[in-house]
Amino acid sequence: MRNQFPADMSRRRFIESVAKAWFGVNLLQAAGNAVAAPPPKPAKATNVIYLYMRGGISHIDTFDPKPGREEMAGVQTIETSVPGVQVSEWFPRMARQMHHVTLVRSMTSTQGVHERGNYYAHTSYFQTPTITHPALGAWVLKQRGSDNALLPGNILINGSPQHPGSGYMESHFAPLPIVDPEAGLQNSRLPNGSTAMDFRRRTQLVELLSGGFRSTTPHRFAAAYDKVHAQAVELMKSKDLAAFDISQENEATRAAYGDSTFGRGCLLARRLVEHGVRYIEVEDNQNWDTHNDQIESMQRMTPSADQAIAALISDLHQRGLLESTLVVMATEFGRSPQLSTVTAGRNHHPAVFTWWAAGGGIKGGYVYGKSDDAAERVAENPVNMPDFNASVAHAVGIDVAKVEHSPSGRPFTVADNGQVIHDLFA
Amino acid sequence: MMRYTAIFLFASWLATVGYCQVSESSESPHFEREILPLLYGRCFSCHSEKQAEPKAGLRLDSAEGIAAAKVLNVAKPEESELLIRVSLPHADEGLMPPLNGGGQPLNDAERNLLRRWIAAGASMQGWKRFEHREAAVDYKAKPVTRTDVPQLVRQFDAIVERHHSAAKSSLNSKNSDEAFLRRVYLDVAGRIPSLAESQEFLDNTAPDKRSRLIDTLLDGEGYISHTFNWKADQLRLITRGLPGQPGYLYDEWLKESIRSGMPHDEMVRRLITADGYLWDDGAVGFYLRDRGMPFDHMSNMARVFLGTRLECAQCHDHPFEPITQREFYELTAYTFGVSNLYASSGYSTENVKQWKAVTAKLDAMDAPKSLRDFVSVTAAPLKRLTKDTEHRLRFGAEFVADPRLQGQTVQWRTIFGDEAPASVETRREALAAWMTSPRNPRFAKNIANRLFKRVMGVGLIEPVDSFSPVNRPQHAELLGFLTETMCRLQFDERAFLSLLLNSRLYQSEAGRGELETGAVFPLRGPLLRRLSAEQLWDSLLTLLVEDLDERKPAEPDRGPLGKEYLARLTNMTADELLARSYETMEYHTARRTHTLELEKQRDALRQARVAGNVEEARRLQQEFANANEPFEELHRRLNMGGPATVADSDPRWVKLPSTLVRASELPTPISLGHFLRQFGQSDRREIDAFNRNPNVTHSLGLMNGELTTAILEDTSLLRRILSESNDAFARTIEIYRAVLVRSPTEAELSQLRPAEEPRLTQEADLIWALINSPEFLFQQ
Repeated sequence: MRNQFPADMSRRRFIESVAKAWFGVNLLQAAGNAVAAPPPKPAKATNVIYLYMRGGISHIDTFDPKPGREEMAGVQTIETSVPGVQVSEWFPRMARQMHHVTLVRSMTSTQGVHERGNYYAHTSYFQTPTITHPALGAWVLKQRGSDNALLPGNILINGSPQHPGSGYMESHFAPLPIVDPEAGLQNSRLPNGSTAMDFRRRTQLVELLSGGFRSTTPHRFAAAYDKVHAQAVELMKSKDLAAFDISQENEATRAAYGDSTFGRGCLLARRLVEHGVRYIEVEDNQNWDTHNDQIESMQRMTPSADQAIAALISDLHQRGLLESTLVVMATEFGRSPQLSTVTAGRNHHPAVFTWWAAGGGIKGGYVYGKSDDAAERVAENPVNMPDFNASVAHAVGIDVAKVEHSPSGRPFTVADNGQVIHDLFA
Repeated sequence: MMRYTAIFLFASWLATVGYCQVSESSESPHFEREILPLLYGRCFSCHSEKQAEPKAGLRLDSAEGIAAAKVLNVAKPEESELLIRVSLPHADEGLMPPLNGGGQPLNDAERNLLRRWIAAGASMQGWKRFEHREAAVDYKAKPVTRTDVPQLVRQFDAIVERHHSAAKSSLNSKNSDEAFLRRVYLDVAGRIPSLAESQEFLDNTAPDKRSRLIDTLLDGEGYISHTFNWKADQLRLITRGLPGQPGYLYDEWLKESIRSGMPHDEMVRRLITADGYLWDDGAVGFYLRDRGMPFDHMSNMARVFLGTRLECAQCHDHPFEPITQREFYELTAYTFGVSNLYASSGYSTENVKQWKAVTAKLDAMDAPKSLRDFVSVTAAPLKRLTKDTEHRLRFGAEFVADPRLQGQTVQWRTIFGDEAPASVETRREALAAWMTSPRNPRFAKNIANRLFKRVMGVGLIEPVDSFSPVNRPQHAELLGFLTETMCRLQFDERAFLSLLLNSRLYQSEAGRGELETGAVFPLRGPLLRRLSAEQLWDSLLTLLVEDLDERKPAEPDRGPLGKEYLARLTNMTADELLARSYETMEYHTARRTHTLELEKQRDALRQARVAGNVEEARRLQQEFANANEPFEELHRRLNMGGPATVADSDPRWVKLPSTLVRASELPTPISLGHFLRQFGQSDRREIDAFNRNPNVTHSLGLMNGELTTAILEDTSLLRRILSESNDAFARTIEIYRAVLVRSPTEAELSQLRPAEEPRLTQEADLIWALINSPEFLFQQ
């Protein structure tokens, strides 16, 4: 080409250099995208609900049971809505939703410490002390933007303080934390004893008194704080604020999700999807780090988790939102199939564990990958966290090969070059 | 603040290569000042003597090499290979520097600069070659102390004056006492002054009252708190970052080093040479914080103490600077042998001196696995010992720069300045001595620049960690003076701050706009900036908590991680350790049963309450309390720790929640919804990972949040002070002074006049409005 059409080439060069100089367009990037293979299936998901089970939820007692094996320690297995796919007896409600779900039973990782596993699950990168990588939600918001001008596009419910947030990305991509799903958006309501009249009077007074500072301070943050203040006032009056108010749900819906914090969080996540929030992560505030007394601990924690997750999937389905909403369950690692003889609990086990996905163009009633008979190692189709997260990114229409640079100039991709698992998609 | 946009990448890169101001005249650009930084940042990584085999045989780091390269055409500058290669479109593989290596293309201004230099004859102006190894500083100045500060201030002011008379500019006018008061409190004590503190200063008529206040604040408790936040952000202290270890002792060590006035060089020396257990020497937290990550540890050390970013060279030769991966390995070799750093081997039973004797006893009694496990658990804190080992760094598979070296042991070598030969035993002392010497070209300069930024709002080299041989400071004479002064003051940070705070520059009105990235700081006055999360929290608390700086949280019962217990554990005999392990085992068995029991109790109570059976609930509560007593007794007897439950008995604070203490006393990272996190407190994952960008949650928090609500309550500290006056006008003045640390202007008073009736709600309105005014958020 180049030798054949030298005149055209120089013309192209000229156009490119002009474009770069005037618009800051990186044509290398654009060219790279153009030659990359188009995604084999169109992205169906517009929203993501990422359910995170803090502490490392056991795989063998939940979604990868091994009927009849002594490792099960007597836990029974039940049939699901999908013939041949079984789950543990502690997930009877989820069993009835299994036709919406793809289980990935061959997850594997090398990170067996909570902090590092958690970081890897959220960012797809190993933790290093010289840079913080953005969590998946920040990537999705940055690449896909928000459908609601007023509400933040990335929201984290019950998040732990270690959440990587927006990492090196700008802080407005960081998830807005919701501390208590029942209370909604923090500080968005007038405190007790304060009336709408008080509020109006006071905001007027601010307006009256801050003119001097504003006119003498051209700093862009000063102007930005004026804007932020106005936005906050607007948000407090806005109809969108109702997105955060789960008390507006009817009694039957609230009951379906249960009265656990996680259940409330899942219900809030569904409301936020309805209001166009792009990415919502809900952490289960229960601690799945079951080093002691596995059976008793699971008996205590699984009912609320089963109820909340099953209600979420069923509710999204009934409202016609599951097609466009990808629901994912992730955790930092699995748990050792052997019960400890000392504590009767299970220890950390990153070698194999289960994550799953539902909706958003994912196959229903499908199992991808396999663990071995003892649930100790991957038997088929190993999937690491970057692969899974790349698949999530792909599902919402993000180009997983696209390279982004941190402020210090280091190149990164959405899931550290994880391979999209096309077999997960319907 | 530290998480910028991609645009910043580019801008900061320009800044890194040296604030080259492009002169528009027709004469030749200055080679060393304007052209060399371009070659350094864009070419030397591949085309210099630093490479065993420079790419394409090109060496652009000497006059001879440039001439031999034949890349310049003075007659037809446009046809110079050098210019052609940096001007190609980005899709062209021939573009230099190569994009796929992370290189940053030249912009138009830089290309023009090159073109003009070539057209003007491409003169090197006497320059011969680039010295890759930055020379040590020849330092001979006489030491001074804090008592010499007035003299130093005169010298500082004179340099600034000279700058202005040469630049035909001037300092901003001197700031008012009120503006000075607020600024100096925020900069030194990390909070606004209380009403009483303001009153004391403003009423004082002594001519030297400013320097007296500076001294008082530097020697006060607030300085320790504020400085702790500043240093903890750099050292990335996390309160609960070391599972199974008393990580809080590193925090305590750092606070104590500030309190005792430990000079900066001494602090760094103590960190680098730290040894032993945290309860012997809290400074070992420096290594434990980065356990298992020796390379990152060195990158961070260089960044914080030498203003130099090396992390690119961890994995390959640095793409923007001629720093090789080998040089990085050589520097890392100094600390690589520290037990907890190079691998998790710092965690080993070999570090437990009782281990052999205890295992012999366990074998003799044929102990069950469960007991052995609990011996292991009990001795666990003793396993993590920080010490030197014989272990040496080798060029491994990750060493990609020169595969021929793979497998060889890395010999330690410093990266610039003096050489620092050492043996295995002395390598950390040698590193520390080299690092902290006044002869080190970057150590004193780094701390001087960082402290300058801390009070002026911007460093003389920006970003503060972009030191390089070609990155020339904007005000070289001033930075040179400050660097030398830092050495002469023997790294006394308080004395150095006293110099800055007493200067005319500091006591001038703030520049009210912002400095564009790469623009020169005009030296007219400090920069306006948003308060940090900690300054905001501590300032609001000033309105709520009497003698705030003195209030410390009650010491929690740390149980097996308490300092005294750990000291005792270290010296236990094998029998004592065994006995303690028995107890621990019994305790854990009891605790498991107890935990399950508690769950049942909770369920029973919930059921009783749901059924509305108050009587039954009360009875159950009593029953459970009795049932739980034996376990709680066991828990106490074995000193297993627990949260502090002791209420604050000090009459000044008895009614306040225990969490209303200064930010420096709270654990980090704190929960996501906390005020401090909302306003961008660092999660301490990375160096200086705070951010001050505006966010809607800030306004929501200040309008409706707990602190504002508490301040408005009739019984709050501020409202109680205000209630001492019956005069609405006087109270209005007081409110302005309390919140904004200034009196209201005439204009403001006239606007307030209609609302002047002495109604309490209006007093609350005014407080609310001032807390929510943008002025409150900024330091001027």
